[in-house]
Amino acid sequence: MNTTRRGRGTRVVLLAAALVLLIGVAVISVGIGAHTVAPAEVVRALLAYDGSGDHTVVRDVRVPRAVLAVGAGAALAVAGTLVQVLSRNPLAEPGVLGVTAGAGFAITLGSALGLAAAPAAELGLAVAGAVAAAVLVYSVGRRSPLRLVLTGVALSAVLAGVSLGLRLLMPTVFDRYRFWAVGSLAGREQAPTTLPMVAIGLAVVGALLLSRQLNAVTLGDNVAHTLGANVARVRLSALVIITVLAGAATAVAGPILFVGLMVPHLARRAAGASVPWLTAFAAVLGPVLLLVADVASRVLLPTGEVPVAIVTAFLGGPVLIWAVRRYGTVPL
Amino acid sequence: MSIVRSPRLAGALVLALAVATGCGSGSGDTGAAPEGKAETRVFKADNGDITIPVSPKRVVATGYAVPALLEADAPLVGISTWKRGLPLMTAEDLATYEKLAKVAGESAAETNYEAIAEAQPDLIVIGVPKPVLADIDLARLEKVAPVVAIGPNVPSAWRDLSRKQADAAGALSKFDATRGEYQTKAESIKKKYADVLPKLKLAHVGAYGEVAKGNFQREFNGSWGTNVAQDAGANYYGQVKVKGGGGRDVSEYPSIEELPTALAEADGISYSVNADGSVPPNVKYVLDSELWKNLPAVKAGKTYPFRYTEAATYQAAMKTLDAVDQAFAPLLTK
Repeated sequence: MNTTRRGRGTRVVLLAAALVLLIGVAVISVGIGAHTVAPAEVVRALLAYDGSGDHTVVRDVRVPRAVLAVGAGAALAVAGTLVQVLSRNPLAEPGVLGVTAGAGFAITLGSALGLAAAPAAELGLAVAGAVAAAVLVYSVGRRSPLRLVLTGVALSAVLAGVSLGLRLLMPTVFDRYRFWAVGSLAGREQAPTTLPMVAIGLAVVGALLLSRQLNAVTLGDNVAHTLGANVARVRLSALVIITVLAGAATAVAGPILFVGLMVPHLARRAAGASVPWLTAFAAVLGPVLLLVADVASRVLLPTGEVPVAIVTAFLGGPVLIWAVRRYGTVPL
Repeated sequence: MSIVRSPRLAGALVLALAVATGCGSGSGDTGAAPEGKAETRVFKADNGDITIPVSPKRVVATGYAVPALLEADAPLVGISTWKRGLPLMTAEDLATYEKLAKVAGESAAETNYEAIAEAQPDLIVIGVPKPVLADIDLARLEKVAPVVAIGPNVPSAWRDLSRKQADAAGALSKFDATRGEYQTKAESIKKKYADVLPKLKLAHVGAYGEVAKGNFQREFNGSWGTNVAQDAGANYYGQVKVKGGGGRDVSEYPSIEELPTALAEADGISYSVNADGSVPPNVKYVLDSELWKNLPAVKAGKTYPFRYTEAATYQAAMKTLDAVDQAFAPLLTK
């Protein structure tokens, strides 16, 4: 009992520290960019907006971008956590359920049919593709986690192949897709992201509420039944939440694959095997990671920005290997 | 039963035999031709001094050479596709374009070497930008016919290059007439705006920014969006921060955050639009930004949409001149 209380206290402190870190990197994200804005002016832009060029840069370009990073980071990290827990596979990430491939296929098909001209249309296509892929994967593989993952991987391969075929046949489709395919937070400030961000917020809350029952499911279906959990309902709810999170994040920022894999591993250092704590830490550390990567994407090269998905892959891989080598792995 | 049933295959075999026996063009630079062979001359191209026929009869053109040689009525037998230039072509040139065999796609990497061989050209004119030339297997093409590579390095170079391409194809007479027509038209528009345009510090937003990188394309003098307007008397102030070679010597890609500082001094701002007047997504991203709406030139209503900024021939550039004239017309009433 004593040990549990001490563990909870430590986790609360660590989570609070992570929140402070999140606020710190968010402030840095709003303060740094291609156009130099003095720190005092950044504060004034937030508190006493006067419509000047500097204030518009902060309010209309950097703040929406930081909010997008927080939303997409939380969505991908929580979705990755749920996928790993649900599939009992530490190598799983939201893409294995076919959600990313579904979104990519919908963008490709939409471009081929001339439906992806505006950002709003692109966003709608990505969500529709993600949902359709998730429904298909769940309807085929709902009986077991392994079947679910295999179905997701198989569907991803098929959709990726068909998408590639379309892009090779139609150069204009390839042109449109290549801009979407590299996940980026730049240039998204004018896209209608309010609805996806609200969906992400609700889905994160849903994940936190579901996490206690997922805790039971990790013990195996029989034990979960004994503990009163409805395994099928929990699994379906988790899949719906994963679809909403990964679909919305992919729609607003394009595919950013590494966050969903890496953050749960880093969060597990602080959360241990507790799914509720793991979900909470992922919801905070995901945005931290994406904000740091996004700031790095702006300052790494003197020639201009690098898409954030490249930075997460470039920096995230070595960081994950270092963390695993330094601290070892924590079992699911 | 005939061994060679397809005329195309027969042609390719004859061509292969001709290559194997070395009977391509090949006399010296004097122009004297041995009996039975076409008269030749030495032509300076991006790929060196090339011996070509004085009056080629079967020309294959790719890239920027396509519109130039269509306009010059060169004896074309095969071309690459050139979709970006379709809205700029005359009905006659468009009909010729549609009829001709397509031996390459939009990019240099899409060159169909077998189709070029089947066209049996006596001259191949490659009109791709110099940095892209490496994507083409010149040695393979040279086995088919003499190859001259004449590609742009900077956007405004189309004036000299299109003349050079027409010269290589032996089709200069019509070219020079069209150029004269263009120059007269440009001079007339220049006079029309003589009291207003030279006083303006202009800036141009091009169509090749990348929304996914959150940037926009700013074009200076000599770039795609500006070079024809310059002939009408417009002046685009400033220059790129760092010259990157080719088109990057005259245009750059700043972050959207830099829009207020980049265009703050502009008295007027022109921007590229599609041939039908619609705004391309990369330009719309700039026009929809709050930063754009706060620019002094925008607040003063001095923004000018330019159509046909892809012109790379005199005939096409006359359409651009008309579009520039139409865009700047409000300057005469204010």
